[in-house]
Amino acid sequence: MTDLTTNVAAALVCAAGEQTEVAWRRDRKGVLTGWCRLPSGEALLPAARAVAELKGRLAMVTPYLPERAKERGEREIAYHFDLDGATLTLTVVLPLDWARVPSLTPIFRNCDWQERELMELYDVQVVGHPDPRRLFLDHSLPHAPFERLVPYSTFTNAATSKALWDKVLGEREDA
Amino acid sequence: MTTKIIELGPHQLALEEPMYFRVQLEGDRVADLDVMPGQVHRGMEHLVMRRNLYQNITLLERLCSLCSNSHPSTFCAAVEEVAGIAIPERAEYLRAVADEIKRIASHLFCCAVQANAIGEIPLFRRVMEVREIMQRAKEAIYGNRMDLAANVIGGVRYDLAPEGIAYLYQAMEDMKKPLDELYLQFANNPVLMARMAWVGVLPREAAVECAVVGPVARACGIDYDVRKKSPYGAYDRLEFEVATQTAGDVRARNLVRLTEARQSVSLIEQCLAQLPSGPLCADNLPEIPAGEAIAKSEAPRGELMYYLRTDGSDFPVRLKWRVPSYMNWDALKVMLKGEPVANIPLIVNSIDPCIACTDR
Repeated sequence: MTDLTTNVAAALVCAAGEQTEVAWRRDRKGVLTGWCRLPSGEALLPAARAVAELKGRLAMVTPYLPERAKERGEREIAYHFDLDGATLTLTVVLPLDWARVPSLTPIFRNCDWQERELMELYDVQVVGHPDPRRLFLDHSLPHAPFERLVPYSTFTNAATSKALWDKVLGEREDA
Repeated sequence: MTTKIIELGPHQLALEEPMYFRVQLEGDRVADLDVMPGQVHRGMEHLVMRRNLYQNITLLERLCSLCSNSHPSTFCAAVEEVAGIAIPERAEYLRAVADEIKRIASHLFCCAVQANAIGEIPLFRRVMEVREIMQRAKEAIYGNRMDLAANVIGGVRYDLAPEGIAYLYQAMEDMKKPLDELYLQFANNPVLMARMAWVGVLPREAAVECAVVGPVARACGIDYDVRKKSPYGAYDRLEFEVATQTAGDVRARNLVRLTEARQSVSLIEQCLAQLPSGPLCADNLPEIPAGEAIAKSEAPRGELMYYLRTDGSDFPVRLKWRVPSYMNWDALKVMLKGEPVANIPLIVNSIDPCIACTDR
């Protein structure tokens, strides 16, 4: 495990610059998690390549808008990689408006859906994605619904409120 | 050769949840595939940020029915990691018991659905009949046949009295012979061999490239089980071998599942034998501080991962989870290529897809 922490640290410094530091935590069962904030958005692609070289597997991508970062006009995306049981999280801080990240799909094939979902639910542009179609939500819904309040009935396209009631009343009058 | 595009939905694919496929055919063989999710997208990742951490346990248990214990237990593990809560030893074993009962029921359901997909109705009935022993055990111990409501932050909310332990021992005894018989059937029965062996093959290299997880990966020879690689709860004190196969076909995936179901019986017996005394839940839970954590578990379908970020309030700033099925859909493109149309339902069901989990 010491080898892993040393190798990851060396590879990330080499790929993303001297300021890149990984903080490692070991839980009660000895499972390692590594946490690293990348110095810039540009560092993501070389850092991801370095993780791929170390036989890392992309496990999950988490975009989010932390309240305080939102006030500062920032958003974050965390990329979680599996390294033979240990999890390495690389976080990039992006501007709230005009946020762009390079696509990791050419490096990790399984990043495809994760990036399509990220583009669909958040106002983030993924540059260089081979297939940037919407994945989950109907095209009639506005873009980036996780960034604003969309009524649940609209979100799930379940028109159970006024539209249904009007229909019921309309049918009663017809009869 | 004629090229044609057909659209298949849950009815044609023998799926119990809505998922649609756009399949490109050349003659009667599959040339390409597009998976179209989103029919049960409920915005649950948005909903969890509007409920506090305690309310979320209930919501997450309703994400889907078959892995409905893995979600709350992994979520609780993430909260416990952020807050530095050590759960009592007895609770670790009781969480493992609940997980393994769900695993047996889930694996058998998948095998049953595949028997149904190839028209082996007596086998479908037999597998569901064996599964019924576990369904009854769930009802007897937890009071429910699907959602067990076993987990709370800091431990569990159920206990096993001596009668409950004796009942579970008997249920495990009742499972052994039928599970061994089912394994022999799926391994050697000539009819099942003809329909399942060398069908829907996912070579090891493709499995690594698609980053598949769970029984789908283990059936291709990838020796990865979260219970071994990143031990949690009681699993560091339980003995089992990671079940692997090398063929990467439908038969291999079922053999991995049936081996694991048999192992789960042994794991439950080990838990019952080793069950320590003591409290079920940590008393005096601390306030949940600001922080972030990763929690992983081996759900019936494979690696389940949770990321939790908190800011010191009772509400999560972000709670993201990635289910095993999410990783496995893409591999269908490899598995289905060149297969006849008639094999599509069987191969799709062989990855044990969970649609409610995928869509969230």
